[in-house]
Amino acid sequence: MATQVAGKRQQREEYRRKIQEQAERVDGDVSNVKMPKKRFFRQRARMRTPISPAHMDWASHYPAFVDPDPSKINLGGTRKLIKDVEVVDIGCGFGGLLVGLAPLLPDTLMVGMEIRVSVLDYVRSRVSALRLKQQVLKKTAAEKSTNQTPSETPTVPEDEDDEVGSTTTIVPGNYENITGIRANTMKFLPNFFGHHQLSKIFVCFPDPHFKARKHKARIVSESLNAEYAYVLKPGGLMYTITDVEEYHHWGDEPTEGIRDLWELLSEEELDADPCVQVMKFETEESKKVTRNNGNKYVAVFRRKADPEWPA
Amino acid sequence: MTSFQHPFQSLKLVKRQSQGLPNVLVTSAGPYIYSYAAESGQRLAVWPEHIETSGGAASAPASTSDDQAPPEKKIKLSSPENESEDNPSTTTDGPTNKSPAWTNIPKVLATSDGKHVVALTAEDKCIRVFSLSDDGKFKELSSRNMAKKPCALDLTHDDQTILCADKFGDVYSLPLIPGEYIKPKIQAKKAKPVATTLTVHSKRNLRSLEQQHLHAERAEKAEEVQEEEKAALNFEYQLILGHVSMLTDVIAVSLPGAPGSRPRNYILTADRDEHIRVSRGIPQAHVIERHCLGHTSLISKICIPSWAPSVLISGGGDGQLLVWNWSEGQLHQSVPLSDSFQDSIVSGIWDVSLTSMLVPLGLLASPQLLCYTLESDNTLKSQGVIQLSGNVLDVASIDSHGSVLVSVDAVREPGSTDMWKSSAVSPQILTECLQASNSDGSLKWTVNEESRTACINARGTSDLPATLDAKQKKAIDDTLYNLGNLRKRTFDD
Repeated sequence: MATQVAGKRQQREEYRRKIQEQAERVDGDVSNVKMPKKRFFRQRARMRTPISPAHMDWASHYPAFVDPDPSKINLGGTRKLIKDVEVVDIGCGFGGLLVGLAPLLPDTLMVGMEIRVSVLDYVRSRVSALRLKQQVLKKTAAEKSTNQTPSETPTVPEDEDDEVGSTTTIVPGNYENITGIRANTMKFLPNFFGHHQLSKIFVCFPDPHFKARKHKARIVSESLNAEYAYVLKPGGLMYTITDVEEYHHWGDEPTEGIRDLWELLSEEELDADPCVQVMKFETEESKKVTRNNGNKYVAVFRRKADPEWPA
Repeated sequence: MTSFQHPFQSLKLVKRQSQGLPNVLVTSAGPYIYSYAAESGQRLAVWPEHIETSGGAASAPASTSDDQAPPEKKIKLSSPENESEDNPSTTTDGPTNKSPAWTNIPKVLATSDGKHVVALTAEDKCIRVFSLSDDGKFKELSSRNMAKKPCALDLTHDDQTILCADKFGDVYSLPLIPGEYIKPKIQAKKAKPVATTLTVHSKRNLRSLEQQHLHAERAEKAEEVQEEEKAALNFEYQLILGHVSMLTDVIAVSLPGAPGSRPRNYILTADRDEHIRVSRGIPQAHVIERHCLGHTSLISKICIPSWAPSVLISGGGDGQLLVWNWSEGQLHQSVPLSDSFQDSIVSGIWDVSLTSMLVPLGLLASPQLLCYTLESDNTLKSQGVIQLSGNVLDVASIDSHGSVLVSVDAVREPGSTDMWKSSAVSPQILTECLQASNSDGSLKWTVNEESRTACINARGTSDLPATLDAKQKKAIDDTLYNLGNLRKRTFDD
């Protein structure tokens, strides 16, 4: 696929160069001057941010969870799902965390949000490939059980195994419960998720933005916390992992607002949570940190119930 | 030749009946704030004072034009610390300053008791609080320079706190009257790179990290640890909430709570990315209650009519007005603007309380005011269009008999943001008065030729410089018509 894209890009560059050159050799013939063709300038449409969560087309992302009643339509005109998305990986990168979590929470809809277009393309391809393999595996398993022919070799050769996901065995959920969308979560989180909708948010190895001037660009910040709390249910969890110690300690001197909304989970609670293990060892970035012998700082916050109105 | 005068950028009626004083109209034009007696239109005071010319504006056009030359575009401010370090709560009224550090005052507010006026001066990003004396004179009590450009201001319900929404998407709260400010002792922090060899992965980053370490060592040896506090503001303020998008409007509002409990305060913020956020009031502004999502382009103005605190009217660049039941987060009504206004940006939504409840709506660079009434079922009903002589800049209702004062731009051609008229007339039309009357259930508007507006117009404001090059003109145009820059550019084919 990579070669195909490069070819396309080459074609475009060549074409644009030709268009530029034609200006330099204008002769009398009008027909020699070619108008540019849109075909060579098209860019992939940007992800349209839904106007509100009720406008979001989730049906195309989770075909296995579409409400069987076709008359149930959301404000965007697409089919409704039988359940809401509940887990979000903000800045999902290549989607390792999602693939790792998918069998752990097979009945929970999870979405990864990523701003880089080509990385997101990879996630989408990865998920659809994993789903396809699961379908093939299920089919062969069904044939096996009917034909009663034992000791059949797996249809999938080992060499194209997924880094995290399973390509040779059937997993719970069959990866139907994960997907990726392109979005700028810092700006548009409330366009995708409603009040108290989510049960878990993951923020794994965020860009540390070392310069103080850039701290507004950090994805874990005081003002964004209010937005994470808005989309999380009371009791919902926000998982953060970073290899930058300073970033880890941003909440050490919590302001009133942060104390009001969040409580930090204890070490024992972290050890008991299988999601923490996945987050620590299965994402691409965490593997990179492991290779680099870096430290991993995990912090999980529980969203408290909204404080009482001042009486 | 008579020269053009600054049109009124902002109008505000300061109600003082509760104190047994006549109402005062406070306006801003160019770098000055003016106060007028609301009844007669007689000018009471101007701030800063040193530009006061004895005669009418037309009599001395040349003498003031030097003062009026617009300052350089980027003004390097004298450090705000020096200015008010010795005396944080008062600054000298600046008759000694030759030219002020700002060219325009986009926003003027008044407390509900009519004792204080808050003004925002543009280029120095400064929030200034004045006391308004019985005879309408301004006395500057404080000036606070914000770090980022404020886009909208509001006062909380108790008038004690200023909310400042800025270009970076943050909302700060400042006490109306700053108390004694004690500088928090910040320990001189040594600049030390927080990245380690374990956190950077690429070769290039590693190399730059090495450089940083080297630099830090050298600095330490040279005892070069100087306190760097240039970013710290020298007054009390608090970050209360933040968007990751430029804010365009902020409203503090109070709703009656459950029986027996206190009223509930809210803060509504609108941003360039189509969001209206409803947060709790201070001190719980970190709790977001809901969002009002429905606009498809930037939101430029939000308005909660004073007589219907649960209704929110919002407008922006998408050719529609949305009416919300904001306390439920529900979209109540969507009012499309007529086709000729589809590409305009809403520049103002004003709640004018008359015999019937009225919401005039201004559009960016338009001489027309669209008029709506808010019906008893909280829907907007169109009441036609009022034509004025120039682009509408601001609207204020000045009495309870249906008189509405409109500030118009007589410098530019109606409908244009940058086409200046070929010549100025004297006196220049600065304000027009509209009179609403209710006949057979429909509203009639008449342009009221009255002595008040004649008096305000005759006195004039300060002159625009007689000779301006295109760049200076554009800078002046942008102070009044900057909303167009907020539109996002799209690259559709």
